[in-house]
Amino acid sequence: MPDHSPSGAGRPGIIHDLGYRRFDGVREGSGAIARTLFATGLRHAYGLGRSGKSKVMPFLLLAMSLLPAAIVVGVVVLTGLDELPVSYADYTNQTQLLVSLFAAAQAPVLFSRDLRHRSIVLYLARPLGATALALVRWLSLTVAVFVFTAVPTAVLFAGAMLAGLDKSDQATSMLKAVTLQVLLAMLVAGLSGLISSVSLRRGFAVVGSVMALIVLTGVVTVMQNIAYFEGDSEAVSTGVGLVSPWSLYTGLANAWDAGIETPVPVDGAWVPAYVIVAALIAAGCLLGLVARFRKVGSL
Amino acid sequence: MGRPPVISTAGLTKHYGTVHALTDLTVDVGEGVTGLVGANGAGKSTLIKILLGLLEPTGGQASVLGHDIEHQGQEIRRLVGYMPEHDCLPPDVSASDFVVHMARMSGLGASAARERSADVLRHVGLDEERYRPMGGYSTGMKQRAKLAQALAHDPRLVFLDEPTNGLDPAARTDMLRLVERIGSDFGIAVLVTSHLLGELEQVSDHVIVLDGGHLLRSSATGEFTQRTGSLLVEVVGTETERDRLGEALAQRGLSCRPRGAMVAIDPPPPELAEGGAAQDLIRDVAAELGLGLMRLQPDRRHLEDVFLEGGTRA
Repeated sequence: MPDHSPSGAGRPGIIHDLGYRRFDGVREGSGAIARTLFATGLRHAYGLGRSGKSKVMPFLLLAMSLLPAAIVVGVVVLTGLDELPVSYADYTNQTQLLVSLFAAAQAPVLFSRDLRHRSIVLYLARPLGATALALVRWLSLTVAVFVFTAVPTAVLFAGAMLAGLDKSDQATSMLKAVTLQVLLAMLVAGLSGLISSVSLRRGFAVVGSVMALIVLTGVVTVMQNIAYFEGDSEAVSTGVGLVSPWSLYTGLANAWDAGIETPVPVDGAWVPAYVIVAALIAAGCLLGLVARFRKVGSL
Repeated sequence: MGRPPVISTAGLTKHYGTVHALTDLTVDVGEGVTGLVGANGAGKSTLIKILLGLLEPTGGQASVLGHDIEHQGQEIRRLVGYMPEHDCLPPDVSASDFVVHMARMSGLGASAARERSADVLRHVGLDEERYRPMGGYSTGMKQRAKLAQALAHDPRLVFLDEPTNGLDPAARTDMLRLVERIGSDFGIAVLVTSHLLGELEQVSDHVIVLDGGHLLRSSATGEFTQRTGSLLVEVVGTETERDRLGEALAQRGLSCRPRGAMVAIDPPPPELAEGGAAQDLIRDVAAELGLGLMRLQPDRRHLEDVFLEGGTRA
C-alpha cells in the first residue's frame, strides 16, 4: 500500500511499497543466455555456487590428481633430471581412474538433476531450445573434464620450465597432450552425460558411468594384452582398443608419438580408424543427448 | 476490444495416435485474466504446451503476442512466463538462487536478475524462507516459488497451470488473489487453468471452457454468471416454513420450487416483473404469514451450468 507522508520531513525510515515494477532494461540474446548457462554448468561441475559438501568430491579428486604432478615437479627441479619421468599425455592416462571418477560423479549434476526434478520444463519454456540446452550442458562438462586433465599438465609444464628443460620439445609434447585431452574430454563427457540423462537416479548414473569408463577400459586393456602376448594377434589387440574412450586416447597418443606405449603400436590404417571411431562416439553421444532432452521436454 | 488478441488460435488440433487431446480449437484470448476450465484430460495443459512451442500441433495455427508458434517460438518464450502444474523445483537450491538463475535464462543481466527476483519473491509472499533449500518447502511455498520464476523476467503473458493445486483453502484464496493482481495491478495477461469452476469465476475476466479437447464455450465471466431473472428467497425456520411460503406464493401466481433451504422463483410474469413488484409481493406474503425474511436475491447462473448445458447439447 503506498504510504504518502505529508511532507516527508520528520518521519525517517518510511517503507515505500513501490508496487509491481516493470522491467524495461536490455534483454540478452540467446548467445548470452547460452554463455551464462555454460558458465553456471562449469561452476556447478566443480561444486561452485552449490552447497559446501558438493565441493568436496571434485576438489578432492583434483587434489589427488595434482599430487603426483607436484611430486614429479619437485623431483625434476631438485635432482636436475634432463627429462620428465612421465610424458604429459601418459600422466593423464596414469590418472585415468580419477578423471573417470570425476566425470562419473559430476555428470549427474549437469544431466540428471534437471530431468529428474523436471526443472527442464522451466528451461524449455525459455528462449534456449532443447538442442541448445543439451549442447551447452555437454560443453560445460567437456570443459570441466578438460580442465581436470589440463591443470596437472600445466603444473608439469611449469615444473619442466623451472627445471630448464628444452622449451620447444616440452611445448610440442604438452600441446599434443592438450589436443588429445580435448578429444578425451569430449568422449568422456558425452558418455557419462548420456548415461546420466537416461538413468536419473544419481546412484545408477554414477555406477553406469563407472561401468562405461572404468570397468570397460579395464576389460579392454586386459583383452589387448591377452591378444598380443598370448594370442599373438596384433590386429585384435589394436582393434579392441576402438571400444573404450581411454584406449582410443592411448592409441591415438601412441600413433601421434605423444609418449604412451600400447601393447601394439597403432599405425597405418588403424590411425584414421581410431580418429573416425572417436568422432563417431562423440557425435553419437551428442545426438543421443539432444534426442533425450527433446523427448523429455515434450512430455 | 480494439487491441489485438494476446493469444489467437485457429483450428488448433493435437492428436496423440488415437487420443484426441485438442480438436479444432479456435479461440481468442485478450488482456487481463482468462480462465481455462476443463476436467482432467480436457486438453488444458496440451494447449499451453503447444502455445509455448514445446509441443507441435497436428494441425491448425496459433499466435501468441503476435508471434506465430510455428516459426517464432523463441520470440514467444522470451515474452511469456510458465508455471507448470507438476513439481519442477530442484530441492537443493534456495528459491532466491533459483529465481535469479531462471531470470538469467530468460535473458536478464546478473544485477537485473537479482533485483527482479527479490522483487518478485516479495510479491508472491516468500520472505525469509527464500534463502532455504526448496526441498523443505510446503506445497504452498513451492507454488509461490514456481509462480515467482514465471514472473521473474517481467513477461507480457503468463501461463499458470493449476496454480491452486494441492493448496489448503486459505492458501488457495491467497493464490487466487495473487492471480487477480497479476492480471490487474501488474498488467500481465494471464491464462490460468483449473478444473474448479468456482475458483476461476472469482478471478477471471473471461472464461474458456474445454471439454474432451473441444471448445465448449468462450465468453466474458459476466455473461456466464448473468442474472437469470429468477429470484431466491429464504425465510427463518425449517422446511415447514419454506413450504408455507412457497405455497402462498404459488397462490399469488408465482411459479416456485424448493431449492435447498430456499425457495427458487422462476422469472415472474410480465405484470409482476416491473419495478420490483415481485419483490414487494414476496415481502408482503412473508409478512402476512408472519415469517422472518432472511434473504431475497436475484439468482445468478454458475459456470457449472455451462457444463450441464454442454452436456445436454452433446
